[in-house]
Amino acid sequence: MSGLIELLNSSIVQTVALGAAILGIVSGTLGAFAVLRQQSLLGDTLSHAALPGVCLGFLIAGTRDMGSILFGAFVSGALAAVLVLVIVRHTRLKTDAALGIVLSVFFAVGVVLLTLIQGQGGAARLDLATFLFGQAAAILRSDLWIMGGVTLVALALVTALWKEFKLVTFDPDYAYTLGLRVGVLDVLLTVMVALAIVVGLQLVGVVLMVAMLIAPAAAARQWVTSLGGMVLLSAVFGVVAGVGGALISATARGLSTGPVVVLVASALVLVSILLAPGRGLLWQWWFAWRQQQGLQAQRVLLSVHAISLAHDDPAYSAGQGMLDALHHVPTRRALSKLHAQGLIRPVAHAPETTPHWELTPAGHAEAEAVLRRLQREDHR
Amino acid sequence: MSEHTLHEPQYALHIEDLTVTYHATPALWDIDVNIPPGVMAAIVGPNGSGKSTLIKTVLGLVRPVAGHIRMFGYPVKAVRRRIGYVPQRSSVDWDFPTTALDVVTMGLYGRIGWLLRPGRAHQAQALAALEQVGMQDYAARQISQLSGGQQQRVFIARALVQDADLYFLDEPMAGVDATTERTIIELLHRLRDAGKTVIVVHHDLTTVQRYFDWLVMLNVRIIAQGSVASTYTADNLRKTYGGQLALIETPLELPPSEAQL
Repeated sequence: MSGLIELLNSSIVQTVALGAAILGIVSGTLGAFAVLRQQSLLGDTLSHAALPGVCLGFLIAGTRDMGSILFGAFVSGALAAVLVLVIVRHTRLKTDAALGIVLSVFFAVGVVLLTLIQGQGGAARLDLATFLFGQAAAILRSDLWIMGGVTLVALALVTALWKEFKLVTFDPDYAYTLGLRVGVLDVLLTVMVALAIVVGLQLVGVVLMVAMLIAPAAAARQWVTSLGGMVLLSAVFGVVAGVGGALISATARGLSTGPVVVLVASALVLVSILLAPGRGLLWQWWFAWRQQQGLQAQRVLLSVHAISLAHDDPAYSAGQGMLDALHHVPTRRALSKLHAQGLIRPVAHAPETTPHWELTPAGHAEAEAVLRRLQREDHR
Repeated sequence: MSEHTLHEPQYALHIEDLTVTYHATPALWDIDVNIPPGVMAAIVGPNGSGKSTLIKTVLGLVRPVAGHIRMFGYPVKAVRRRIGYVPQRSSVDWDFPTTALDVVTMGLYGRIGWLLRPGRAHQAQALAALEQVGMQDYAARQISQLSGGQQQRVFIARALVQDADLYFLDEPMAGVDATTERTIIELLHRLRDAGKTVIVVHHDLTTVQRYFDWLVMLNVRIIAQGSVASTYTADNLRKTYGGQLALIETPLELPPSEAQL
């Protein structure tokens, strides 16, 4: 416990945690729109495409000046986005191919520039490699101002243009027919995603940045019923992942912050996919299993009914072994379910000692109701 | 011709010399269409005949390589407020986290203005539109939990709140049950009877005569257009659909000899 307090008092840890929180807010918010617009991979392309910008920013400034590096990253990310649009519009390539091409070309250029710079030697130059996977400890207090400023601008835009962004995300063609400036809104959303990536570059790096966009949003989608709820929860998940990852990595030596942040975010996704009420996989499995049990019980009920009809004896008792053989599976669970519902009752069928079952009057009524229902559906 | 000069204002929709291509393939070839106001018109044609492309071009979603389009005499930009649009149901992701009422409210976004949010009055309007399509009980329902027919009705309600004079519907009867189809048709007839113009991309030839009073037959070119009574003929159907006609009911008023397709 005292270790944690000590940790929180450390100014480096404070800076990193605050930076991670800011990143979580901006990437969670914009990631929600990116995921709903089915543009998750655009985020990946933009973040990889930021690498040559980082290197060029460094080369032009001549030092590791944060302003020029981030500006370079933003420009090359934006250039990549434009290039994707141009390729999709003017060739027959589909979006996924265009994204793949642009991602690999820009990233390759970035890696070449990176090795060139590193070949020139010098301690500060080696630092640039940290932009691949991020290095949280390198964040300065002054960097937080840039990150915070970018985030505030993005949040202000999202709040001001809330309904426009919502409609453009849900149904862009319809938005256009209402007279909304779909092209402008599209560019704004994409530019803001590029800005969010710039915010995360130092912390998470270009390779893993896309996870900070997608993971909080994908996790949030599982729990919510409105866009507002999704954006808010996505931002909260982003903060949890960012701060949680930063603190975890601070507790152990040599744990890189970026990957840990991404792992925490992924854990949130896993939990959400499994557990979220209604949409969660466990819920769906449980629901499907209950349906199956219900159907099985219904089939067994109909079998007992049919057997008693065949013998022209409403009180005819069917042996459990016979029912098992008829259904090719054990019917014990279905029978006890029907028994609990008062539709069948166990009877002794001397001299046999095996369990036997007969329909109660309620059981006969239910079986006939089911048959009528099935017949009606056949006629549809 | 300037954007603001009135051109052919007697038609709800006037299309002249329109050609649209996708890459090198023509989707619409040199077509002229005139639809008078106050009719309920069907656009029919086989798959790939350019029906949806026609609507999308009219609405400005697809850019033509040649030709011009006027609605009530004006280009589309000048009459957006008077036009309602119901896209194909499959054109959006219905897993979007929102309610039926919220989707209908979107029909008002064009007139709420930048920076403002929809208020109580807008919600009341949207609820009234849901009521018109018989969906008022589903207002708070997640759209992912609606059936296909219910989703279609939500889309129509969204166009209704636009309170337009000219409605475009892209295959509104595709994949909906008989009850929904009846609801939709009754509603569209009411709109027409109130003086609105309703233009529907339609795929079911068997119902053309019952539902519509105006017909545009399309297969990349315009094959025929006019009142259903004068246009829905065996000859025009054969020209539009070529050899694909085997399953199509022949026009009711034709003598048996002519009905041998």
